[in-house]
Order: sequence, then structure tokens, then C-alpha cells
Amino acid sequence: MSSPNDPGPAAPERLPHRLYDADGNPTVDRPWIFRTYAGHSSAAASNALYRKNLAAGQTGLSVAFDLPTQTGYSSDHPLALPEVGKVGVPINTIEDMHQLFEGIPLAEMNTSMTINATAMWLLALYIGVARERGEDVRRLQGTTQNDIIKEYLARGTYIFPPEASLRLIAEMYEYCLDNLPKWNASNICSYHLQEAGATPAQELAFALANAIGVLDTIRERGAVSPERFPEVVGRISFFVNSGIRFIEEMCKMRAFVELWDEITRDRYGVQDPKQRLFRYGVQVNSLGLTEQQPENNAWRILIEALGVTLSRKARCRALQLPAWNEALSLPRPWDQQWSLRLQQILAYETDLLEYPDIFDGSVVIQSKVDELKRQAREEIARIEAMGGIRAAVESGYLKSQLVRSMSERVSRINSGELVIVGVNRWTDGLPSPLLTGEDGGIFKVDEAETRRTLEALAAVRAKRDPARVAAALAALEDAARSGKNMMEPSIECALARVTTGEWADTLRRVFGEYRPPTGVEGQRLYVDNERVAEVRRRAEEFVRRTGHRPRIVVGKPGLDGHSNGAEVVAVAARHCGFDVVYSGIRLTPEEIVQSAIEEAADVIGLSILSGSHLELTRQVIEGLRAAGAGDSIPVIVGGIIPKADHEALRALGARQVFTPADFDLADVMSRIMDVVEAQAGVSAR
Amino acid sequence: MSELDRLLEGAIALDKWPLARLVRLFEDPRPAAVPEKAAAIAGLEARGAAPRAMVAGYTGTPGSGKSTLVGQLAARLISRDPAATVAVLAIDPSSHRSGGSILGDRTRVHFPIGERRLYFRSQASDRELGGMGRATYPVVRLLERLFAYVFVETVGIGQSEVEIERLADRVYLVLQPLGGDQVQFMKAGIMEVPHAFILNKSDVGAAARRSYHALRASIDFARPGEASPPPIFRTSALSGDGLDDVLEDLIAHRSTHDAEARRARDCYFFEKWVRDEYGRFGLDLLEQQGGADALLAASGSFEAAQAAYRAPVAPPAP
Repeated sequence: MSSPNDPGPAAPERLPHRLYDADGNPTVDRPWIFRTYAGHSSAAASNALYRKNLAAGQTGLSVAFDLPTQTGYSSDHPLALPEVGKVGVPINTIEDMHQLFEGIPLAEMNTSMTINATAMWLLALYIGVARERGEDVRRLQGTTQNDIIKEYLARGTYIFPPEASLRLIAEMYEYCLDNLPKWNASNICSYHLQEAGATPAQELAFALANAIGVLDTIRERGAVSPERFPEVVGRISFFVNSGIRFIEEMCKMRAFVELWDEITRDRYGVQDPKQRLFRYGVQVNSLGLTEQQPENNAWRILIEALGVTLSRKARCRALQLPAWNEALSLPRPWDQQWSLRLQQILAYETDLLEYPDIFDGSVVIQSKVDELKRQAREEIARIEAMGGIRAAVESGYLKSQLVRSMSERVSRINSGELVIVGVNRWTDGLPSPLLTGEDGGIFKVDEAETRRTLEALAAVRAKRDPARVAAALAALEDAARSGKNMMEPSIECALARVTTGEWADTLRRVFGEYRPPTGVEGQRLYVDNERVAEVRRRAEEFVRRTGHRPRIVVGKPGLDGHSNGAEVVAVAARHCGFDVVYSGIRLTPEEIVQSAIEEAADVIGLSILSGSHLELTRQVIEGLRAAGAGDSIPVIVGGIIPKADHEALRALGARQVFTPADFDLADVMSRIMDVVEAQAGVSAR
Repeated sequence: MSELDRLLEGAIALDKWPLARLVRLFEDPRPAAVPEKAAAIAGLEARGAAPRAMVAGYTGTPGSGKSTLVGQLAARLISRDPAATVAVLAIDPSSHRSGGSILGDRTRVHFPIGERRLYFRSQASDRELGGMGRATYPVVRLLERLFAYVFVETVGIGQSEVEIERLADRVYLVLQPLGGDQVQFMKAGIMEVPHAFILNKSDVGAAARRSYHALRASIDFARPGEASPPPIFRTSALSGDGLDDVLEDLIAHRSTHDAEARRARDCYFFEKWVRDEYGRFGLDLLEQQGGADALLAASGSFEAAQAAYRAPVAPPAP
């Protein structure tokens, strides 16, 4: 024993640029979790992909579900059929879930699921698989994205109204607290807000106000005791975007960390610093990835990855990178591997993980962080004054802020103020050898896999116990109506082999379906140039010649909810003098046809990003003919449409095809005006 | 059969595409379109399609949930009554210096597909503050010959209520709960016009109850001594509560303008048309031509009177 005066063995000198462990020994950090957002075609095909990715050194799974699964339809529903397996894996019953995770021990895995409106259902299926396999459910680790606010604002896979949706989220937190202590019941997403146009300050404010909304809801429900409430706060995690302005993005992450620490301490009185940590995963930005010279995206992805890894204090817990060709189509396995290699090089070849925070003490960085925090606090205060995040969604305030930011961004690209290499500067490039492979550098879903999914669904329906199914659904409905926690009844539904559509339909009956504000009303476009004036002049001439204003129905058929493109076109069309009928997302082709017919539209603009453009366009054009309008309402199509499909779309009858390469709105509107004039037999040219 | 005849036959059968193109004709403000409109009305008369609709006006402030409510009332009416036919004309106030507009009302409701008995049409009001547009009355004149009910939905901020009162057989003012402030309801001076009030979003609980009583008090204050004070309906477009009460009120008051009232209505909107198109000078000319009443009586229809009216600016020589 040493006396207080005895200095003892000299403490080893600590260097500010070294990392030390708890015992004072030099150490390095462990890397973040490497993930790739993946899933397609069918449960079996996705399982094979996951096993390959894990073998390649991926350390967690990030499951992409197809749109029917995300919006609560079984694969055989008419709205679902064109979308099965397109943007993710279709999951109809627990049998699909068994297949998806075959050979992957759940208790050992960290699984992130991008699932929102049906998150409770997918978690119930995951738990169901663990139970049937005899694995320890308490050890399950991972995240259900489960953030409904950004679905209303940007991503579009909501089903239920806000109150019911927030209740589902709260019940999952309450259930997980006792039963799945390592599970993140939801992930507050700022990712999609940036995709929808949010500035860094808006991203900070909207995400934090959203987290406050979730926590306030749980606190007000009173199902969690005040003593355990800090545990709930500690389970809140975030999903963040990282854009090309990587210094600012890094500052944004530091601002997030500091603001969250303040909010959890001051608003919720959380004492334990661990429960105040800002835990977050990242997918770097896909919005800025370009169709033109797509190989440049590899560099963009690298730079964006730096923004969320350089600062140790604000380093992500998990990172998933898009593939260089995302603006062209869904990525192939090789494309995903290339992105994974980037993470491995960053974590293992470089010295990144050897240092403490390298920005501490930087006056420049701190000043920028402080400015972002100040702006974010002001915006949070505004939202609070409106009555919180839910009121700000329902009134359309948040959506209109985002649509405005997006219009400003597009306007700045159009004016050349915002430089995008290969898009509005240095646009002449050599042809990319990456696109000259046999498959043209893009991925195609194998149609045979869809058939297999449908067969599997039919087989489960045929052999399950109908009485158990009916009882499970009745218990679910009863819980939904009476206010009981719906998690256990959902797990029983999973075990009884209830389908995704049956689970969601039951809750639709109880809660109803929601249609949020579109945010396009009252918006303006910040583009004014000669060419816009020219389109406007042609619109006025059209009015003089025909006696009515050119009228466009902008429609998003199918389940894909990424509405930014449709919204920008709607705002631009009005800016150019059109009357615009925009009915929001998730419409059937029949609904779009009916709108166009009843409104006597001069043109229909379809926006499709799910890969189902051929099928949906065909349905709209055939629907118009069946309704007696023949070909007198021309149809144009925009979206992520591979070059190879342009001719096919024109053969179906589409008069124009637009892709992300068509960012110049004056040009887009001018081409739409060409179509409208040609159809009406008038021309102002 | 001429193209116009084919459109008329189709529209009478409630075939949507010909109907929609006829509406487009009636929206055409150009003098050149007047003869064809007159011919269309004459053609409808000849086929026995006389005015028969009850015209219901729904007005209210933005944010009152009016669009969803009107869409659901229409859908519910045709599902309750297999003989009912409904046309909804939704007037959107949004305007823009480009002249373009966003017609957003369709956003709110999923309508049944392929249902001939329900027709929904959006129309841009050419005014910043809402109310009816120049094309609203002409289109109502068409639709009232084809449907049993015509619902006209307008944004009302106080000035346009007089017009909707002239146009509709029954006017509903749609309000949202306001946190109980009586003064709020009084502000716009819109309490005098409506036949009935609809307090929408009544699913929000206590605020809705307070608002109900505040509204009741406001009506009593604004319209003292009325023998039968106007009803207040509490509805929730989200849950569907209260919608049937509104429909029963509508059906109970089902009436259509009689011939005399229709002529008075034509007169009012004819003068409004002249004023909108040609201003004071146009009205003076109308007086010199014997006035709206005489011109309408001599011409046989609103559209024929428009054709007969000698406008201040001579049409270009042929």
C-alpha cells in the first residue's frame, strides 16, 4: 500500500495525440459497423446476398424491404404486384423471414431494418423467427427504422394517421425496454430530410424536434415509470445523412452531439452521460449522386464518408454507403462490394482510428458548430410554439419548408450557382468503361423470383390453421381498439402465419389511412430566365388559342413515395403558367386516369422511381384508352429510368422520358409544352 | 351526329370524358365560344336535360378540412342513395403571377373508381383570396342539368359569400375548432349568410366542445331573433362522424331554384359577367340594351343572352 505522499510508480506520460484505454495503455478505436443496404427479388435471393456480404467482411445487416412490405400489402395485392422485389425483399409471412435469415444466427447479428409504418410487424416476425428457432430473444440486437415523421415529409411509406403511428412507435419502445433491451425501437431520421432538400440547420432542428415528439409521447402515455424513463431516452438513436459539403457536415454531426446532450439533460433530466450519447448510423447522400459521368460518384461517396468519420466525438456507429451507380438503377453485388471496400480501406489501411478528436480546439470548427446550433435552436423553438412536431406536420409547415428548400436548391443548380461536376460544369467527358459491360452496368430483378414469392405465399395460406389466424387477427384488432400494447398480439399473428397484408388491413380498419399535405401549394420556383419566360409566353398563347390554360396532372403511381421530383415539376409547371392537378403519392393507375379524364388534362406527367415504370406506364395508357380518351391525353414519364427502357416506354406511347439528367427545369417545361402544343394542334413557335 | 351532339349524348349518360370536355367548353371565356355554349344548352334542353340539381355551397377558411369533408360527403351520398348523382366543383384560390395554379383539392380523398354517378372537377379561381371564378357560374349551369346534386366548394374570406348565396340553394359554412374564442368566429362577418354551420375536426375533443358553444353564442349574437336558428353540425372527416347528419340536412332541404328564382340568379350573374368583362361602361351599355332581365327573357338562355349582348369593344371584322 502506498501512502498519500508516495508518488508511486511514475504515471506514463499521456500524449494528446494518442488514445489510451481505461488502464492507461495506448489503444486504437474499433471501427464502426459496416453495412450495405441490401435486399431484392425474394427472401432466398436476399439471403444468398447477405451471406456473400458477410463473408466479404461486412459486420452488420441492413435489410431493404420492397414497397408492398413497407406499405402493408401482401405480394398478391393489385397495388403490390408491379413492385414485388423491386427495391427490396418481399416479406409476406414468417416463412419468408425464416428464409431471409437462414444460416445467420440472429442473436449474433446486428440487423438494421429500413421499415416504418409496418415496423411493429417486421419486428414481430423477427422475434417470431428467433422464438421458433429457440434463440434467446433478449439478445436480439439491431434497429427498426420506424420513424413515421420523415415518411410523411419525404419518403412516403406511411399508412396510418399521426396519432396511431406515434402510438405504434411508443408501444415498441415500451415492449423493447423489458423484452429486447439491446434493440433500437426506432431510428430518428434526418437522412431523408436532407434528400428532400433540408439545409443542415433544418436537418438538425427537424430531427431533434422529432425525437422530442417521440419521447414526449412515451412520457405522456405513462406506461414507462419515471425512474425507467432515462433508459428509454438512452435507446433513442438517429439515422443521418452526410452530404458533399463535408466540413459543414462534420460540424453538423458535432452540433447534433452537443444539442442532444443538452436536450436529454435539460428537458428529460437524464443524469447518466451514457444515456445522453447521440448514437447514430449513416447512409451517405444519394441525392447528390449523378447520372452524368457516374464514375465521379465514387469520389463523392468517399468524401461524404469522411464527414461522418473524421471527428471522433461525432463518429457514426454504423455506416452504409450507396453504390456509384445508384442514380442509374439498383446496384449490383459488385457495386456494393466496391463501396464496402472503401469502408475497409478507411478503417484498416489509414490511421483514422488511432487519434482522439482531431478538431478539438479548432476555433473555426467550434464557431461553425455554434452557428448551426443557434439556427437549429431557433427552428426547434418555432416548431415547439406551433405545438410540436406532430402539429408542424399536420399543418403542412414542415413539408412546405422542405419543398421550398428543394426548389431553391434546384434553382441554384439551374443557375449554375451550385456547381455539380459533370452536370452543370465540365459536362463533356469520355464514355465510361464501367457502363460498357454485358449488363450495361445496371441491375435487373429476375421475374422468376416474383413467381417464387407468390407461390410461397399461396403455400402458406393453404397449409396454415385458419382458426388460429382468425383468433390472432381478432386479438390484434381488440388490442388496437382497446389501447392495449399490440406487440404480443402481433407476434402471435406472426406465429399463426398471418400475412403482411392481413396485419396491416386489420389496423387500417381501426386507425384509417392518412393523406398528409403535399406541400406544393403556395410554393414558388426561384428560376427566372429567358427560357422560362419563353415557356410562359407559349402558355399564354395556348390560352388564347384554345380557351383554356394548359393543364397537367402530375401523378405518382404505385407505392414508391419519393415525391421530390413530382413536387418540383408541379411547382415548375405552375411557375410556367400551367394549371396543375397534383394528387400526392401512392395512386393506382386507375386513379390517375380518372383524375386526368375528369379534369380534361392536356398532359399526364408520371413520376416513377421504383423501377416499375414499364408496367405502370402501360397501365395508365391502356386505362386512358379504356376510358374512351384514346390517345388524346399524352403521357410523359420521369424517374430513374435506364437508357435501355426509354425506347420501350416510347413504344408503349410515352411522348417524353425524363431522368435525373434532366435537371434543367426550363428545358423540361419546354419539352412538356412541346407535347401539349402538338396534341392540341397549336404552336406558339 | 356532330361532335357537339356526341359530347352531349355522352355527358347525359355521365360518360366522364365527353362530360369533362363539355366542362372545358363552358370554362372557355372567349366570345368565340359563346355560340357553342348556347348550342350546348339548347341541345341539352332538347334532350330533356333541364336544370334539376340542388346546388349546395360549402365555404370556409383554408385549413378547415373542407376539401376532405366535401369529397367524403359526395362519396357517402352516392353510396347511401343508389339513385343519387353528384358533381363536385372545387374552386382553388391559389394563383400566381404566371397565371398558373396548383389545384390541390383532389389530394384529399380517394374517390371510387369508375363510378359514373360522382364527378369531381377542380377549377382555378382567378382571384387571390378565393371565392368563385369567372367560369364557375357557366359550369354550374351545365352541371345542374346533368346531376341531382352539385356541390360547389370555395374558400371564403368574407367577400365571396354573397356570390355563393346567390348561386346555391343551401350554403354550409365549414369551420374548425378555434380554441373557444368567440371573436374569431365573428371576424370575417360571414355569420349572416350560411343556412347551416359545420364544425369540422370535431375529433379533437375539448377544444371542439368549447368551440361549439362559442359558435352558438356568436350566431345568436350575429343573427338575433331568428325563428329557427341555423343548425351546427359537428363532423370529423377522419372518422366519418357526423357526416350523415349533414347529408340528412341536405336531403331534407332539397330544393331547386324555381323558374323565377333561376331568372333572378341568371340576372345577377349576367350583370356580374358584364361587370367582370367590360366594367362600368359595359353595365351602362347593358342598361341601354334594356337591362339583364329583358335581354335574358328575349334570348331564351344565359348563353344566348351573352351572345346577344353588344359588347363595348366591337369584335374584329370578319
